[in-house]
Amino acid sequence: MEVVVSYLAWVAVAVFVLVGLYRMLRYASLPVFLRWELYPVPTEPRHHYGGSYMEEVDFVKKARHHTRIGGLIDMASEVFLLKKLKDYNQFGLWPFSFLMHWGIYLLFLWFLLLAVEARLKLGVFTGLVNFLGPVAFISGAFGSLGLILKRVGNDKLGSYTTPEDYFNLIFLGAVFGSGLIAWSYADLTFDCTRALIKQALFFEASPLPVPFWVWLHLLLFELFLIYLPFSKLFHYAIKYLTFDKILWDDAFKVKDSPLDRKIAKQLSYIVSWAGPHIVPGKTWLEEAQLTDGGGEK
Amino acid sequence: MKEQKGLAFNRLAALTDEPLLKLDTKKLMPLPYLDAEPPVKPPPESWLEKYDLSLDWHSPVGVPKPKTEQEKAELVRRFLSGLGKLFDPQNNWTFLKILRLTTDYCMRCQTCSEACHVFVASGHQEIYRPTYRSEILRRLYRQYFTPSGKLLKSLVGADIELNYKLVIRLMEVSYRCNVCRRCAQVCPVGIDNGLIAREIRKLFSQEMGIAPKELYAKGTRQHLKVGSSTGMSVGGFKEAIEFIEEDIGDRTGRKIKIPVDKKGADILLIHNAGEYLSWPENPGAFAVLFDAAGIDYTLSSEPVGYDGVNYGLFCDDVELARIGLRHVQIAKKLGVRKIVVGECGHATKTLCVITDRVFPGDLSISEIPRESCLPLFWEIVKSGVIKLDPSRNNFPTTLHDSCNIARLMGIVMPQRNVVKAICPQFREMTPNGARNYCCGGGSGFAIMNELNFPQWRKKVSERMKTKQILEAFRDCLDPSQPKYVIAACSNCKGAMRDLIGHYGLWDKYRITYGGLVELIVNAMADLPKPFIELEFISNE
Ligand code: SF4
Ligand code: SF4
Repeated sequence: MEVVVSYLAWVAVAVFVLVGLYRMLRYASLPVFLRWELYPVPTEPRHHYGGSYMEEVDFVKKARHHTRIGGLIDMASEVFLLKKLKDYNQFGLWPFSFLMHWGIYLLFLWFLLLAVEARLKLGVFTGLVNFLGPVAFISGAFGSLGLILKRVGNDKLGSYTTPEDYFNLIFLGAVFGSGLIAWSYADLTFDCTRALIKQALFFEASPLPVPFWVWLHLLLFELFLIYLPFSKLFHYAIKYLTFDKILWDDAFKVKDSPLDRKIAKQLSYIVSWAGPHIVPGKTWLEEAQLTDGGGEK
Repeated sequence: MKEQKGLAFNRLAALTDEPLLKLDTKKLMPLPYLDAEPPVKPPPESWLEKYDLSLDWHSPVGVPKPKTEQEKAELVRRFLSGLGKLFDPQNNWTFLKILRLTTDYCMRCQTCSEACHVFVASGHQEIYRPTYRSEILRRLYRQYFTPSGKLLKSLVGADIELNYKLVIRLMEVSYRCNVCRRCAQVCPVGIDNGLIAREIRKLFSQEMGIAPKELYAKGTRQHLKVGSSTGMSVGGFKEAIEFIEEDIGDRTGRKIKIPVDKKGADILLIHNAGEYLSWPENPGAFAVLFDAAGIDYTLSSEPVGYDGVNYGLFCDDVELARIGLRHVQIAKKLGVRKIVVGECGHATKTLCVITDRVFPGDLSISEIPRESCLPLFWEIVKSGVIKLDPSRNNFPTTLHDSCNIARLMGIVMPQRNVVKAICPQFREMTPNGARNYCCGGGSGFAIMNELNFPQWRKKVSERMKTKQILEAFRDCLDPSQPKYVIAACSNCKGAMRDLIGHYGLWDKYRITYGGLVELIVNAMADLPKPFIELEFISNE
């Protein structure tokens, strides 16, 4: 089984990266949409009160100032603190979600450090790795379990939660839970985990016997990596699109700009809606230019 | 009410005429400083026989009950056809990406719910929860248009029973959202339930021609064919201008000629035509202010050009593009340098933001700039070119922010700067600015008066604003002191008139409302008498 786990590690990382990229590109290639920004836009210098450049007379003639840092701070407060969930969620999801998310971050960091440690033969990470692992497992397991119980125990949340949502949480819980058991039951010093990681990285047989819970944990983590970009859990990457590319996209159109050219192309798409006011077979631009307003009603 | 697990969504498909919800004032969010309110009246039997009112006994549309099985099947077929088009890149390039992300990535955490004034004011009624309609659309899409939904069905939530009842109720519930997008502000994933409500409306309008009369038949259709969504013809517009010029004379003693169709003017000023009919003092105040400040502007008397309204914004992208395009073409023809939109939130956002990307290059904002009037007001006030006497506005005021202007355009401070300069007793309502609550008239509700929809609007969507206004004036409720709610938006003013009338805020507390420009003109030191009278005229 260790061999399967070793080879699967490469597959898992490849799927995680490539499918993730593919999905982002698929979304990015969807047509340019109408402006739909929502204030406060944190890349605006006036974001502290929700203001925008449109507060200025003749804004078109004035220089635009964007503060990338504002966007980064906002994004960071979402990623690391889950600020909106903390400030606005009324179901008490934040503490559990916070723990679960930090469990995931630390788990990724833990695996990364294990790989770096093995690859570069660095011993300096040993203490950190031995500390991070259990923290990630406990935090993640507690968080996932809490979220499951919250959803099961609350009618309002429960009636919206699909089996798929429960599966995601249970899967996460299983990754963390198996790690916790592997650590406490079979691998307190993570020596066996290190051996397995080495085996995966260098394709050499592990010098130590790898206990069931250790390879099971790794296997689950690998399967989770594969599953992640296909699932709703991919929202960690999607947020870049929903925030940065939609809610914060406040650019007005400039004639002959790349945006203008894209829109021109889309205005040549054919409208095939069947409403009585729509004249069949026309492009978007032609529909808009019907001076009598098109079809009857 | 305890929600039945798993059945929540399929309730929408229940083959019964019994409404899913009967509004009861006792269950609605309590209002402070009001002991009683008019009870909810059930619809008359004759309506129940004729229309499908099975969502909540209210409707802005009044879909006639389908009579035959064939008609029922046809409703479902057309709905599914439209649903497919919503997710098609050619037919819905305008919003597809946002729709897809919203459909695919909601984490069902319900963080958005408490941000919604409709949901909270209704006493947390499940059918008004921001995610309720989104979840149904999401599940239907998965069920009928994705392999995972077809294969895994209820495991991925693709388990909605689709019948004509669901189609009608889903359309209805899309008109229980003001599309104010306050819910999207708090969503940790950036998901937009307001957009989903609009997309559902769009499906019905663009595919089936079903939309509230005031938005569609008497809205965009009338606007494009007659010239204004109010039905006002070019002749009617010219008469309105003459009336306003006379009214200005009466109020100020000044003889002002309002410029119309002045070629090469600096600014094309476009008002919501509702102002000419309901609040002519507002365009009048613009004329006085711009005249005094020496602004070079013009109005247009071309059909569509004298009405800044664009009800396509609320339910139809094709109509949105048609009306927006006409506005900008008229500006180009007049040779003005830019368009300034009067006190109308949705018209401002539509021209300045939304329609920018449905026009060819030479009609871009870079070529014909579009702006709100509010920054211009502040420029005028700040410049000192007009002598203003704040003591003329020495009564309590509070400011309602139009969602379209504050949350959706980021115009927050100019109006505040003006108000602070001219209203000594100004106080903010809470929350305000970009975090404000909708007036309850947003996305066309303010003008939708079909059947008993006004009752729903007054009881539910305008309820939160009523509470905010009462709380803002809590220290000065004494009826001997008139108070003024500033609403620099035509539709918001409609909602103010509605709620003040319904809850008796003028009779009990002397609370009235009006625009911002009227207050500026009211403060003009060299006018012989006040420009405005603090009174309340109900539309009932
Ligand atoms: S829309 Fe956003 S806040 Fe609302 S349930 Fe979905 S993810 Fe949560
Ligand atoms: S857009 Fe506004 S009214 Fe609609 S669901 Fe969101 S908060 Fe409620």
